[in-house]
Amino acid sequence: MFTQFFGNYLLNKRLVSPEQLSEALSVLKTTRVKLGVLAINAGYMTAEQVERVHAEQQKVDKRIGEIAVDMGFMTGDQVEKLFSQQSGTHLILGQALVDKGYMTNSRFEEALNSYKNENSLSDSDFKDNDNEKIQQVIRSFYDFDDSDDELMVEYIDLLFKNIVRFIGDDFMPMNCEKITEYSFANAGVQHINGEFSCTSSIDAEDAAYIEFGSRYAGEQLTAVDEMADACAGEFLNLHNGLFAVNVSNDTGRELRLEPQQVLRGETLTGMVDTYKIPLIFPFGTITFIIGNY
Amino acid sequence: MSLENMTVLICDDSLLARKKMVTFIRSLGVGTVVEAGDGEASVNMYKNHLPDVTFMDIVMPKVNGVDALKQILKINPDAKVIMASSVGTQENLKEAITAGAYDFLQKPLEENQVKSIIEKLAK
Repeated sequence: MFTQFFGNYLLNKRLVSPEQLSEALSVLKTTRVKLGVLAINAGYMTAEQVERVHAEQQKVDKRIGEIAVDMGFMTGDQVEKLFSQQSGTHLILGQALVDKGYMTNSRFEEALNSYKNENSLSDSDFKDNDNEKIQQVIRSFYDFDDSDDELMVEYIDLLFKNIVRFIGDDFMPMNCEKITEYSFANAGVQHINGEFSCTSSIDAEDAAYIEFGSRYAGEQLTAVDEMADACAGEFLNLHNGLFAVNVSNDTGRELRLEPQQVLRGETLTGMVDTYKIPLIFPFGTITFIIGNY
Repeated sequence: MSLENMTVLICDDSLLARKKMVTFIRSLGVGTVVEAGDGEASVNMYKNHLPDVTFMDIVMPKVNGVDALKQILKINPDAKVIMASSVGTQENLKEAITAGAYDFLQKPLEENQVKSIIEKLAK
């Protein structure tokens, strides 16, 4: 989950523009993380050393790892260790931004280190998905100011986990915004009643709505139709159901779900304590609207 | 009863959930699989087909799954109705079992669990 928030962090610090981030996300699948970015992440080389190794590689016909060893920046064991590791999406994103020229290696190094420091993250946290730390990161990104904010944090935490589980991990959450009205393009909507009552919806323009549905269904959908609506509704129902189970187990509070509905081309006003949370995927933006409406 | 002679009813308001279940249950060799998209239709389909096994979602329009279960049990007190819901809270579980559900499955459904139930009831 820390991986997903790294993109948001870069945006908030104005290190990349939304267009640059979106472009980098669209090439994640074909981007291979190079030794320099891996070494910076592991703390084996500084960005400046990586630049020197790159400069040297222009002059000699050797692999970059060999040059780094020859220059005394890394040991052979460290090079081997880096190549045997699986790269997290945050590193792939960093590499894509560097490859496209939107960030230098040193800008990436600074950003990654400050992101880790500000959120007290270690490398293992990126793999372990420790619940408490994830919720801490969610709290630092999202400022929910109503009385049920702890439940909102849990709701968002579970939502992101379910997105990773059922849709994919190649998304970046954008900043949330408190809204009082919203125009829905295509949306699955569900009301939750009980001691924590709210309405949540998944909204997207046609192409992203179809692709979201395709990923959830595990088959390619081709139109905004009953099946695409069923996918958005079913994802929401599954997520809300699992949330209700967690709340019931943890606090004994019982929540009831209402049948999912579809909203298309409608504008709702008078929303209360409602948050808009856009997630950028390579195929487009999926927006979650969570609150009272 | 052989799987070929078996009739299974799938009740779920999600087209996707029904499609997945119908495809999977047919792949097990079950002879007849019928479906309903809300609680009211579920009761009507039950009356018309008298299925050997019914999988019933809980959160559905018109009539919810637990009320549909109660109506089905009035038609046939021995009906084998398996509740399948993402909301597997203790209260829902208790309500469904008290109402007479044969079993309760938490969504997302695991194919092995569905298969075991079908095979057990086919014996």
